[in-house]
Amino acid sequence: MGDFIIQDCSLLAKTSGLPAAINLRELRDRLALCSQDVLYHHFCETPLVPSFDNPDYRNDFAAWALLQLGDRVLAEQLGIINPYIFPDLEKLREQVLDILDERLSEVVFVPSCQPGGEFFFTEAVTVVFDTGKRITSPKALPEAIGTMTNGSIYYHFFEARRREPVGVDDFSAWLGGFPGQEAWCRALQTVDFVFFTLPELRGELVRVLGKGGVA
Amino acid sequence: MIKILSAYEGLVSATVLGELRQLGNRLAGKRVVHVNSTREGGGVAEILDWMIPLMQDVGLVAQWEVITGNSDFYAVTKKFHNGLQGFPVTISKREWQTYREVNEENAVRLRPILEEADFVVIHDPQPAALLGLCPARKGKWIWRGHIDISRPTRLVWRGLRPFVAGYDASIFSMCQFAQPLPHPQFLIPPSIDPLSPKNMDLDPEELTRVRHQYNLDPDKPLLVQVSRFDRFKDPLGVLAAYRLVRKVQPVQLVLAGGGATDDPEGQEVLDEVLEAAAGDPDIHILLLPSDAHRTINALQRLADIVIQKSTREGFGLTVTEGLWKGKPVIGGDTGGIRLQVVNYHTGFLVNSPEGAAHRIRFLLHHEALRAKMGGRAREYVREHFLLTRHLREYLTLFHILGSREDASTIYI
Repeated sequence: MGDFIIQDCSLLAKTSGLPAAINLRELRDRLALCSQDVLYHHFCETPLVPSFDNPDYRNDFAAWALLQLGDRVLAEQLGIINPYIFPDLEKLREQVLDILDERLSEVVFVPSCQPGGEFFFTEAVTVVFDTGKRITSPKALPEAIGTMTNGSIYYHFFEARRREPVGVDDFSAWLGGFPGQEAWCRALQTVDFVFFTLPELRGELVRVLGKGGVA
Repeated sequence: MIKILSAYEGLVSATVLGELRQLGNRLAGKRVVHVNSTREGGGVAEILDWMIPLMQDVGLVAQWEVITGNSDFYAVTKKFHNGLQGFPVTISKREWQTYREVNEENAVRLRPILEEADFVVIHDPQPAALLGLCPARKGKWIWRGHIDISRPTRLVWRGLRPFVAGYDASIFSMCQFAQPLPHPQFLIPPSIDPLSPKNMDLDPEELTRVRHQYNLDPDKPLLVQVSRFDRFKDPLGVLAAYRLVRKVQPVQLVLAGGGATDDPEGQEVLDEVLEAAAGDPDIHILLLPSDAHRTINALQRLADIVIQKSTREGFGLTVTEGLWKGKPVIGGDTGGIRLQVVNYHTGFLVNSPEGAAHRIRFLLHHEALRAKMGGRAREYVREHFLLTRHLREYLTLFHILGSREDASTIYI
């Protein structure tokens, strides 16, 4: 197995060109049309976007339903969605639209936001660069993770799931190439990363891999 | 003092600084020119003051140019400023002509520099017309709108849009401010420099000296709003809120502001504020010189509560400054203040003098909560609104614009 190449990334958000949504129907209609990059940004890139403390929900649609529409039922239904279990983003879109259509069929009045609370559809461009650092053996992985930037953690643990092999973080994929590392791969894959900030996740990965030491 | 990146070690992690150097190394030697309309006064000048040396430190050949204009020009661009922020104004043909002529005069001087640059960043509307006056430009041109143009007066935006539409990209502080334009619009909130005279740590003796200098009573709670004397900063609304609080408890208020060379309305607003405050010894109206950064720093540190009761606000760097000093901020529920002030966490958003008065009383009553909010506020700024994040996003933008790929992921 080759060395693990530590990459880093920096995201820059940009507008999508879609008009802002002011109610649930507009959210539904624009979500049906938006690019996959928009969908991905609002579901998966939120760890790198400024937020305060521990938000109730990690995807922007659920947070908007709660904070701006005041629809707690919808927020709960959207909030539990794990975007990483879908084979592709179109399947994720189908699931979200299904929930929104169901909710629209239940409510008497279409929930709307107050002025200033509109949902703005944004996306991001990610610039990825090689840090020049390499990890040569599984033993060195925990220490290396401990010194990684938020960008590296995001790229190797979140963004990796979008690349081949789809749905797998880079650390597990790399460890899986060494004999006898299956337990550590499983341990990494069971980390419930949704509620961690990136610095917290870095600590958790080090803790999981450091427990007993990666062989 | 020349700013260098390593000076920020300790305030942010070494890995964050390393990330900046790596992004910068890959742009080494690229020529970047920033252009705005004032060297002193206001948030843009403060940002450029640190951004230029730090861009140089990570390898770019960065420089800062300032356009010059006469009083007629600044009167027109102040109208742009007001109109873009939604205040109804009309701009005559003669005024548009003045705008174009002053840009043409500046283009004669700046053209050789701008046309050779790899990246040109034009800040705000004042120099926006330079793009069309540099036909042999080689690099990418970016228009950076710092103000809240979420609901502009249509006639003003319709007049300015043709000057902006030809840029390769624009930057806004928030998606709410973006306008339909035929190029990518990136979102980069501004930031503060924690080592600048306005934000650096100060000795207690210096705080005491400033308190004495301005006759502030150490035993009365202190409210401080720092901003230009500008209607959108609502200094009269702050006075009204103060008076509502004073009815129930002793309190003192500082309204401190400096002038900016590109703001001809400042004196008029200051006069109105002085008249409204006359006769109250607990109201301190301070017109400070543009280099009184340490005094502003001290006033914010002496404050029990920092106020920024704007009715329109691009971002509100004075909010960031207050939060960085561990103060809860009561801010107008508008623009970039919403990105920074989170109810019950870093302060309160308010919509009226009554709302501001209510939250001032609440915070003065809950001293422990005030301290807790202040602690959270500082960490929030450290994570999101320091210059290191801001610099990284500019470097990222240069990589994106310099790339031949048009993809959501770019490998450099």
